[in-house]
Amino acid sequence: MYKQPIIFFGLILPLLAAVALIGAVLYGKSEMEASFTEKSRLYSGFEMTRKTAMGLEKLVADKRPDLERWTESMSQQPSSEVTRQLRNISASLPAKELQLTASDTPSGTGLGALSAQKSSLQRMAFRGSFRTMQKAFLELETKMPQLQLQELKIEPSQNQSSLLNFQVTYTAWEN
Amino acid sequence: MASYLHPASLNEFQRYRQANAILGNTSRATSPDWYRQALDLGFQLHIRIDGTSISSFYHDHKNGTWEGGPTLTDEHLRNLPSLESLLPGILKYVRSFGAKSLGVVLHIADEFATAELSQAATSAESLEELRYAIHTSPSSILADSSIPADQASWRIMPYTSGRHGPVGTAICLSRQWDGFLCAFRTIGEEENFPVVTQALSAPLVALQGLGQVLHPTAERPFVAILQYPWFTAMAFFNEHANLVLIRSLQHRGLRRPTNFRHALTTTSASLELMDPDLYLAPLGQSVDQTLCADLKLTFPNQRVEEIRQADHADFPAWATEPLISTSAEESQTLQSNTFDALREQKWATQDFLPPISEAQEIYPVQGEMKMLRAFKLTRLALCALVLLTIIWASLQVIYIFNQPAWWFSPTEAASTKQKVARFTQEKKKIDYWDNMLADRSKAWISMESLVRLFPEGSGLQLKAYSYAAHPESTPGQAMTGFSKEWKITGLAKEEALEYLNTLNTREGIASHFDQIAKITGNEAYQTDLPTRSLIVNIRTSENPSFKTNSEADMQSKGDSSFPFTFDLTITQRFEGTDPMAINAAKAP
Repeated sequence: MYKQPIIFFGLILPLLAAVALIGAVLYGKSEMEASFTEKSRLYSGFEMTRKTAMGLEKLVADKRPDLERWTESMSQQPSSEVTRQLRNISASLPAKELQLTASDTPSGTGLGALSAQKSSLQRMAFRGSFRTMQKAFLELETKMPQLQLQELKIEPSQNQSSLLNFQVTYTAWEN
Repeated sequence: MASYLHPASLNEFQRYRQANAILGNTSRATSPDWYRQALDLGFQLHIRIDGTSISSFYHDHKNGTWEGGPTLTDEHLRNLPSLESLLPGILKYVRSFGAKSLGVVLHIADEFATAELSQAATSAESLEELRYAIHTSPSSILADSSIPADQASWRIMPYTSGRHGPVGTAICLSRQWDGFLCAFRTIGEEENFPVVTQALSAPLVALQGLGQVLHPTAERPFVAILQYPWFTAMAFFNEHANLVLIRSLQHRGLRRPTNFRHALTTTSASLELMDPDLYLAPLGQSVDQTLCADLKLTFPNQRVEEIRQADHADFPAWATEPLISTSAEESQTLQSNTFDALREQKWATQDFLPPISEAQEIYPVQGEMKMLRAFKLTRLALCALVLLTIIWASLQVIYIFNQPAWWFSPTEAASTKQKVARFTQEKKKIDYWDNMLADRSKAWISMESLVRLFPEGSGLQLKAYSYAAHPESTPGQAMTGFSKEWKITGLAKEEALEYLNTLNTREGIASHFDQIAKITGNEAYQTDLPTRSLIVNIRTSENPSFKTNSEADMQSKGDSSFPFTFDLTITQRFEGTDPMAINAAKAP
């Protein structure tokens, strides 16, 4: 008379309960693992992005002062900026060996002819000594990196044999 | 002691709970003695009741030893409270021997009655079926249906002679000792100590004992006369020592039955047993000791003997049933169907007073107890499995919780992505302007190149220098190539021609460009890139104004002192794939 209740309550019910419990645990675990796998995938992507961001941040941070300086320089009118810079440069060089004889802004875009980026031409004529002019150009091109040499002509001066005539045309990138 | 209910009055779950309670509170699952016969247990108490005396003996079945049992009086047998006060002492004594259980065997020697089986039962059913039927429904197989069968206990005693006639007879004992045995079982249940009872009919046991001591005359029937104080049982055997009839005669207050000789003679005659040997077994302290002599006088032509069991130090000769019931099977000397059946099929040791079925059904049977215990272990294993699974899953969860990925928030990723996008945009801008502002064409470097191309004292004099840079159309490309061209004219002395010739080679001009690149650090002068090409062309010709008149003129530096003029053109091309190619797009 006890056989059926013993089998049912003693074995079948605990077995079902155990199976249900183990099943629930395994289901919960698998759900959690699935969620974890998805999160891991996102996290590894995030980690990669984070490292990329860190690398980029460092790169950008290193270059940012340059960019700001360039942007500042390119935001000025090229001709006036060239004039201002030349004035500063000539102050530290012998005046006789660096004489600005002419300057204008011819039409055209020079090296920027095939680029969508805005550019203009700056043409200047100097009379001066070779080395002084080279120094002046070095300083000008350092302070205004947006200047790309378009043309340069050097000829002996007809009047003063120790000096040379320089005609220089720059393509100036503009922001 | 917990009181248990009959399972029929319980629902399924209550039955299971009760079974578990029995499992927990009793040793029924662990001790098989609860479910064994009393005669099979290791320690036994044999009690013999013959109406005039009560004998009891303890028997260590394993060692085969006997000793005197507790002193029982008629008061103990009839008055249960009196008995119950005695029982704890008996169990304590039994336990002192290290016994794990007690078999209480009651040898009932104060009553013995037979009844004929019905004709239908005799002819139709096998002995096993009869054995079952007399347990469950005795009135269905008794010849006299008027007997109140339910008030007594009935068992079958088979006749195995094979002759035509009844297959056996029904032995009847009253239930007067039910309470006495129940008291033993109850104390056993109360103390969780297996006490199993068995009520035997002493004459049947004595009958089995004949096989150990009897040596009948060959080919002659015999009658075993079992003398008890209150009755005399007569067992009639044919010439093959097979039982053909057993009957009893009550003494009715006398020392022997009044019609004993007549009954013996007529029964032998009716069974066609000619001059059977008569074996007399006095099985009571106060039985008629003169009967043997009387029979010898009455039946002078027949063998009349008094038989006795082998002497035993612990037993009186008239109370040997306990010894017979526990004796080894090998001690049987008389071979016949009857004695074989008595021994092998245990007809002589049938329990006349088992617990009523309702009382037995309260407890799970042995198989159910084993099942209950096995399932308990199975549940423990399942619990362990579940626990291990939970621990294993918990460890996995802890591992997952310890991973930063688990606590990662997608919003964090979004902000980082935005940061990357911002930095990427900024970097694009930086890269763009890095490219646009690259030193691809600088005046000071061109001048340095010029100076180093024509050093002092090289025998060369420059007349004009021009430089121009031009973009080169590459439709559809993101980057635009460009070219740079230098045109230099001048005068040359004869010793400078070799230098000019050197310059006028790919290697010569490339060497100069590489030198400039190295000195100035300007990458635009590097020539080892496959995206760049360098072409040089020097044309020399005689100087029409050259004068060769005097050495003094040769020393002068005037144009006329140079015998040659030269025209140098250098073209450097940068393809659209060159690192210095110009970005065709607008700034990002």
